[in-house]
Amino acid sequence: MGASQTRVETAAAVGRRVPTGLPMWLQAVVRFARQKPLGAWGAAVVVVMVLVAIGADYLAPYDPLKTRYHLMMQAPGAKFWLGTDTYGRDILSRIIYGSRTALLVGFSASIFGATVGAIMGVMSAYFGGKTDLVIQRVMDVLLSFPLIVLALAVVAVLGTGVENVIIAIAVPMVPRCARVVRASALAIRETPYVEAARAMGFSHMRIMFRHMLPNVVAPYLIMLTAFLGQAILLEASLSFLGLGVTEPTAAWGLMLKGAAVEFAERAPWMSIFPGLAISAAVFGFNLFGDSLRDVLDPKLRTS
Amino acid sequence: MKVRTWSRQSRSVGAVCAAVFVLALLAAPAALAQGQYQPQYGGTLDFAVPKDPPSFDGHRENTFALIHPVAPHYSLLLKFDQWNYPTIVGDVAESWKISKDGKTYTFKIRKGIKFHDGSTLTARDVKATYDKIIFPPEGVVSVRKGSYLMVTSVKAPDARTVVFRLKWAAPSLLANLASPWNFIYKADILAKDPHWYEKNINGTGPFKFAEYVPGSHWIGKKNEDYFVKGRPYLDGYRAIFIKSSSARVAAVRGGRALIEFRGFPPSSRDDLVNALQDKIRVQSGPWLCYLSVAINNEKKPFNDVRVRKALSLALDRWEASETLSKIAIIKPVGGVMRPGSEFGATKAELTGLVGYGKDIKAARKEARRLLKEAGVPEGFKFTFKNRDLPMPYEPMGIWLIDQWRQIGLNVTHKIEEKGPYFSDRKKGNFQTIMDYSCDFMDEPDLQLYKYLSSGKSGANYSRYEDPVLDELYVKQSRAKSAKERRELIRQFERRLLNEKVYTFPTLWWFKINPHWDKVKGWNQLPSHYLNQDLRDVWLAK
Amino acid sequence: MQRYIIKRFLLMIPTLLGVAVFIFLLMRVIPGDVVELRLTSEGGFVTEEVLAMERARLGLDKPLWQQFVNWIWGIVRLDFGTSMWTGRPISHEIGIRLQLSLEVAILATVVAILIAIPLGTLAALKQDTWVDYAVRVFSIAGLSMPSFWLGILIILFLLIYFQWVPPMIYTPIWVDPWANLSQIVWPAVAVGYRYSAVSTRMMRSSTLEVLREDYVRTARAKGLWEKVVITRHAMKNALLPVITVIGLEFAFLIGGLVVTEQVFNLNGLGKLFVQSIAQRDYTMTQALVLLVAVTFVLVNFVIDILYGWLDPRIHYQ
Repeated sequence: MGASQTRVETAAAVGRRVPTGLPMWLQAVVRFARQKPLGAWGAAVVVVMVLVAIGADYLAPYDPLKTRYHLMMQAPGAKFWLGTDTYGRDILSRIIYGSRTALLVGFSASIFGATVGAIMGVMSAYFGGKTDLVIQRVMDVLLSFPLIVLALAVVAVLGTGVENVIIAIAVPMVPRCARVVRASALAIRETPYVEAARAMGFSHMRIMFRHMLPNVVAPYLIMLTAFLGQAILLEASLSFLGLGVTEPTAAWGLMLKGAAVEFAERAPWMSIFPGLAISAAVFGFNLFGDSLRDVLDPKLRTS
Repeated sequence: MKVRTWSRQSRSVGAVCAAVFVLALLAAPAALAQGQYQPQYGGTLDFAVPKDPPSFDGHRENTFALIHPVAPHYSLLLKFDQWNYPTIVGDVAESWKISKDGKTYTFKIRKGIKFHDGSTLTARDVKATYDKIIFPPEGVVSVRKGSYLMVTSVKAPDARTVVFRLKWAAPSLLANLASPWNFIYKADILAKDPHWYEKNINGTGPFKFAEYVPGSHWIGKKNEDYFVKGRPYLDGYRAIFIKSSSARVAAVRGGRALIEFRGFPPSSRDDLVNALQDKIRVQSGPWLCYLSVAINNEKKPFNDVRVRKALSLALDRWEASETLSKIAIIKPVGGVMRPGSEFGATKAELTGLVGYGKDIKAARKEARRLLKEAGVPEGFKFTFKNRDLPMPYEPMGIWLIDQWRQIGLNVTHKIEEKGPYFSDRKKGNFQTIMDYSCDFMDEPDLQLYKYLSSGKSGANYSRYEDPVLDELYVKQSRAKSAKERRELIRQFERRLLNEKVYTFPTLWWFKINPHWDKVKGWNQLPSHYLNQDLRDVWLAK
Repeated sequence: MQRYIIKRFLLMIPTLLGVAVFIFLLMRVIPGDVVELRLTSEGGFVTEEVLAMERARLGLDKPLWQQFVNWIWGIVRLDFGTSMWTGRPISHEIGIRLQLSLEVAILATVVAILIAIPLGTLAALKQDTWVDYAVRVFSIAGLSMPSFWLGILIILFLLIYFQWVPPMIYTPIWVDPWANLSQIVWPAVAVGYRYSAVSTRMMRSSTLEVLREDYVRTARAKGLWEKVVITRHAMKNALLPVITVIGLEFAFLIGGLVVTEQVFNLNGLGKLFVQSIAQRDYTMTQALVLLVAVTFVLVNFVIDILYGWLDPRIHYQ
């Protein structure tokens, strides 16, 4: 057993193996795929999911809401590739349309949460002093709640439904992103770059947006992709509890609720396929996000 | 050589012996079979209950979550005979007399009934209990006192007699005195603190209180001094609180619970039967619960009877009965009274009602015509609010929306948590909303109460006033004969469901109780509130 | 060092106060009222006077600030009040469930540690080989699966192949260890697997970093047996961030296992949480939230102290 060698190819070495005829962005993609194969797989899953969601109308063989009471709980077969559920609705179509709900909720919640969090983090780092202290304490308060409890409370206040679920999932994300972005922003604040800008009399807004924000893009993107997977899982949990998206909308977590568990032995396809869909999607997002982090800033800790 | 013959005496003895022998042979199989049904003593009954009781006082609660774990600790004045529903027999009452004019009920109380703390039960305790139910003191909640409006007084002239005096003769009183909620309490305790029973147990029932771990289980132990000799058969029982329905089914399947008294959906029944074969026995039957659609008669366009009629006409109840009953606990098609009960509408009477016809195409055509006439456009959007319970609210909600889609209505299904649902329903904060009703017995006074004018009935969420219905209710409540009563009830039904359609029932529930065959002595009744004192239950080895 | 400790301790207070205020107000913003839910929800018809009377009995008619002050004053004296739904003391209600939740949390942590530390180290040692990829895929899969789905699969597996269902009633481990473990081990595994995912990745990345450090290279150059190098020097330092992560997640295991408890039918704090929110039981929800928050803040405090002690800049102040 020899000492394990970390095989780090220099970017140049990788670059030499990329066909030079391709446009710049495509070269970057290929380089990424070569360096981080796992991440490339993850990205592929994400892309497929997005395409499926966009093309749902064309891809889904049936209307996801159409009930067929005489064809309830059919096993997967020629007519219904993944079988039907307790109302006779085609499971494949519901999974395809369910990707829309998952992506909608996932993207909206994480973008919303990460953005608000990033703004909080930057403001906190930039202004420092009392503002920093107050914002930090508020973030600490929010952090003291387990994810699901905070989401539950928000749903209790606002009620169920897609919009409210998005808010409920975004809220716990804000403090986590704020924390990480603040750490990065603090580092930037001390640079002579920003000092010079202040000296020249630029407004706070301008400095924050023009100078600090672009430099925290890396942690922001990393948090964003990390949240995407979490958001989809949280939505599934909330729907499972009956507090998320409601019937008859097609949503993966909803498909796992109630009847799927009751009939799990007789009609396992009702609980296996939506569970696989969730796992696959979150898996893809996590792989991609992980590799993105490795590329952008290997030193960054997201605890 | 002396020829020995049977002497006459010995011949008759022989004949008798032979006869006895033959009889014994014939009787043996019967006796053996009887041995199987001979109740055996011992064992603990484990059963599943979906949730914890909110308090321990039967007079103020309305949920099975109280009845199932707590009822075995208490006795009632009268109770329903589980083998002969709806016959009423005495529990602490030994016998009773009703005066000719029907305004005086005299009950004789049994001797030798002891509370779990050792004190003796007398008529005074029964009087104190019913005073609390019918004339609750300040600050005490009694949710069913509205059923006893005809009672002027409850008296206990001596230690074994209780007398009820009425303002008018009411056939429903006897049944209401057999209400499973009317636990008999101790007068001395009530005098000191009428709230004591909300947190404590002290009754005369077949089981004594042993342990309660909130969220987990409730244990009762055999009452050795129970006033019915030879009962109970069980050593004790354990109510296990299991919130998730699939976990309840898994518990029964794995033998951790032997029975669940409310009911399982058809799929779980099939799973259990498949897995456990003849170890499982299934009792199925009608259930005194139904789902209805409450319409807010104060909101446009639902204040127009044509729109309301259209909503009912769109529903193919007969088809739903077939399809939904495969996946949910709903099945019988009925009107305001339970189909199959004494005052329930016959099939012929039902098909004559709006929305209950067999020709669904014609009905939907008519519905569309009515909507058009009322000025409701195609694709009209409105909201249907529903509870967040999967069984049977969810399938019914999904079905309703689907049916209304077929007459061109675009309905949004809004599922609400417990709190907002009850608040919205009470405040009228809805256009249409799912409503439900469960009672402990077939009694028009109970079932029809819901449809009285909003001002008169706390259970009317559809916000309407109708003096005609109110009058019909009073008339049927005081009817002199069953025939007269039936006719009045049919009139009530027609006015509600044909003419005015303020609100309408959809389907009645169907009770399926699969349980381990070794649980004997429990006979399923149409109400999950009845027959839960577990007095006659025994476990076969 | 002492100033550091005191400063950190003082910072806990505004956080906890903030949590208290936040949950107090949040509960009262939620529509619905515990009294109405209790008395009218199952179809009972009670008058407004009765509702008002019950509200007064629970102290809900007093002005908000007064309710808040009464509550906080009670907390300070370690009196958590009574549940608005059951009327029983909250410390009793929580006490019943705390044992189970703690046990699941501890067992899940043990499972997580047993998976994370060896796997994470292994992945770091064999970086970029198939072993590394396999470990990473395994741990990301743990993060990706909905834990309740895993729970459902576990129960189904037990039911279908062994016709066996875990016990439904909790018995403490010192009363009947077999019954106790046969109930708790399954949720512990379902939760622990997910929990280990984060820690495995942390272990891997911090081991990687430490392996690159100078002193490790020196030790190697000295010719010490590789294993000694790794375990003695690298692991100790690699463990620190991992412990941080484990500690922080542990706090959330106490009240955050809502869905898992439902799937496995556990009478734990998660179930109590959901129940008390659904019942609008203000005092209970507030108490539970404070409990989790205090745990979280305390864990943070301990970690801060630990880091302060290890960081010479602070240690020698």
